[in-house]
Formats: sequence, C-alpha cells, structure tokens
Amino acid sequence: MTRFGAFVRDRREKLRRDDRRYSLRQVAARIGIEPAYLSKIERGDVAPPSEATTARLARELDVDRDMLLALGGKVSSDLKEIIRRRPRLFAELIRQLKEAPDDALLRVVREVRDGDW
Amino acid sequence: MMRSSAWCARCGTATGNDQPGMEDGDAMITLENNRLAIRYPDVHPDARCTIDFQRTLRIPDDGTDYPLPPGLGRFPLRHLDDYAARLPQAWHRRGGVITPMHQAEAMWISFGGSDYPFAVKIATGKICAVTGDDWVNHLNGDPQDYLVLPEQPWLDGYCVEKGFIRQFVAMPLGEGYTAEEQLTGEAEHGGLQVVAYPMKRKRYERLMSPRFAMDFEAGPDVCSSPAPDMGLAPGGRMRQEIYDDPYGLDAWDQRHASRCFVSIANSTQWMAVTGERPPTLPPSAKEYSEAGLPWFEWYGGDAKAVAGAKKLASLASVAELGKAKGQDPLPENESTRVTGVRTIRRSGDTRVREFEP
Repeated sequence: MTRFGAFVRDRREKLRRDDRRYSLRQVAARIGIEPAYLSKIERGDVAPPSEATTARLARELDVDRDMLLALGGKVSSDLKEIIRRRPRLFAELIRQLKEAPDDALLRVVREVRDGDW
Repeated sequence: MMRSSAWCARCGTATGNDQPGMEDGDAMITLENNRLAIRYPDVHPDARCTIDFQRTLRIPDDGTDYPLPPGLGRFPLRHLDDYAARLPQAWHRRGGVITPMHQAEAMWISFGGSDYPFAVKIATGKICAVTGDDWVNHLNGDPQDYLVLPEQPWLDGYCVEKGFIRQFVAMPLGEGYTAEEQLTGEAEHGGLQVVAYPMKRKRYERLMSPRFAMDFEAGPDVCSSPAPDMGLAPGGRMRQEIYDDPYGLDAWDQRHASRCFVSIANSTQWMAVTGERPPTLPPSAKEYSEAGLPWFEWYGGDAKAVAGAKKLASLASVAELGKAKGQDPLPENESTRVTGVRTIRRSGDTRVREFEP
C-alpha cells in the first residue's frame, strides 16, 4: 500500500463514519472515476492518479490539494509554471528556505496590503 | 514581508506594530488559491477563516423570491500592487486585491476555514450590506452590522427584509444603480470591503470547554454591552437569513482586525491590466433551471435572523431602476420556474453548493 492510497482510504473512511455519502462508490462517482479504480488507488495497486483527479479528490475529501499531490509524488502545474518563468530566483528561494521552521516561512508569505480607504 | 494589514478599530487608520493601543500586529491576510485567508496566530492557533467570492448565475430580478443559486467557482483575486502601474492612483491607495466581473454579473460570498468564531463585516461602496449604514471601523450591536462565522456560511446580497436579501449584481459606477449611489448620491468608492475580527481568546476557550458548551446549548448568551469603476447593486430577491450574533458584541476582539478592499474591474479592464482572460459569463437562471440543476436553501436550525434594514429595503433593484430610466440593464432576465431545491443543514457540508471550477 502506498502512502497516498493509505491516506486517501483513511480520510475517506473517517468521513464515512459520519456521512454515508463518503462510500467508495459515491466518492468515485462525484470525482468522475470508476469505483474499481478508486479502490485500486486506495490499495496502492496503481500509481496515484492524474493532477486533475487528485485535485478533485482533495476537494472532495476537504484536504489541501498541494499536500495530496505531494503525497502522490507530484507538484501542481501552476507551481511548476511559476518556477519555469523565473527558475534561478525561485530555485534559490526554495533551497534557502528548505530547512526554515514553519513560523519563519509564514513570515515570508506575502500579505495583502491594506491601504487608505 | 509586506506591511501588516492590521489597523486601529477605533480610529480607522492602518497601523504598523508601533502604534499605541494596538496589539502586536501579527494578524495576517494572505491570498491562497483566489481566497482571502485570515489568521490571528497571536490570538489563538485556531483563529483562522477564509473568504472567497463565488461566480454564480444572476437570479431573475422580477419580484419573485428565489432560493439560492449555485457557486460556479471562485472569482480570480490578485494583489492590486502587482498591477499598480496600470491602475489609477486612487485604486493603488486603497491597496487590497482586484477581481474581474462582467457588467450585470452576480456573486456571492463564501466563508470557511475553521470553527473559530469570527465577526465579519461586508460592505459595498462602503455601505454595510447588513444595515445599509455608512462604513465605520468598528462593530455595532444594535442594529447588528456584521455576520457571525461559522454560523453564517454564505452571503448572497443585501439584507432587505428579515429572511430575504437582494442579490449582489455588478454595475458600472456612475450610472446610479449601485447601493452606494442610491444611498449617498455619490459614486466614490465602488468595490467591496471586508473586515474580520476574531473572537476573544478566553471566550473561545470557554466556548470549547465541555461544561460551557452545555451551558451554551441551554440558552444563548446575552449581549453584555451595547473611476471607471465597478460597484455592486441590488438585484433579484432570494431567501437567505442573516443570523443574529449568539455571543454578544463583547465576545469579539476588536483590537485585532484584518480588512481588505476588493476593487472590481470590468472584464475589459481586467484583460488590459492583468493580461488574463476573465472567467466566462455564467449561464442564465433559465438555462440553468431547464438543465435540471439544483438550487439551494440553508437550514440554520434554531438560529435567529436579524431584521432587514429599512435603508436597504428602500433601494430600487437594478431592473426597477432600469425601467424607470428607460434602460434595459439586465440581459436574460426572464423569470424561471425553480425545481429541485436542496436543503443544506448546519451540520452538513456547505461545499456542496460549489461546483468544481
């Protein structure tokens, strides 16, 4: 079983305890894949699904899309595009921040500037 | 790091951390996937909420009361500072974010993030969407001029009557349709304004303790103290309650506030400024209904609704005003018969109203 599959199954089962709409069949239907395919994903019999399917799964299970993509060994295509546009700058930034603690990372997150109104 | 968006609730001035009377300004408002994410790590690790603006179909402005339309994905939000060189100076001064809307397009506001309670005030053109009063930089309890999260999952428009709102519809400033112009006679601000206050930490911790939760369920607490620009205008009527504050004005930590001006660019401006295409126009209400797709209503249990605001009830809707002016501002305004209304309860999943973008 892959970490991706185990995470998806655990999360879905947890939701299903309170809400029967989180059965394998119903979740698969809502994200537009076959129940058998979702079952294989959860068991780790197949590789994690495409970025689009992973994004729908993340939304359905109310988990962070980037986190779920990372579990599946993927990086969101919009992030790749950001790095591709300014590769030296972003590669350096990511390398420099790779060991920074979370609170230090939060300090470099850009805030929305409030002005005069 | 950009300047903190913390500001003084009493005087309304944006502040740095060195302002007297202001707590350490570790309030954070950031943009995450076209959503405003508000955090107060200084107040409590759980103190976070999100606000996004949902594309939706415009309900017919025909005097009929409609249920709630669906969400068709989030409007794009961008830092206004990124496009400062291509925007009027007045826009830059306001800061905040920028979003595109087509003329006569509708929107609703979705709240989420966590169970930490927040008081959130929403205004359009600096006119409060709950009371119709001018913008003030603090919360008022009588009449209540704010929404309480997480009790209130959505806001679709102006609170015109107890249990009824008029949908937010984008109209150009200067033509007299917006709530701001109808109430003040001026076309000065436009856009949409948001401010969020977290619940006081101690109050939250009491709320989370099992003993207090039982007390709370037994009876609610009693309030212990008293340019070429787009704006939003009142459209068709729909059923939506704005809930009374069950905690009281004293529950809110007004020393901490995050506010944001959402400037609205029309679709042509948006393309010129950002180089991006705006989202396509949503289907008409008639097309949507004929496709058999669901409408929604929210069941808030025992929560009480605030009364509607007389000022907002006095507003003419876009269609009414257009008729008086001899104009036809709303294309595809045909009445529609609604079938298939899904009721969502408070314990349910509020996301079901939103479709995959």
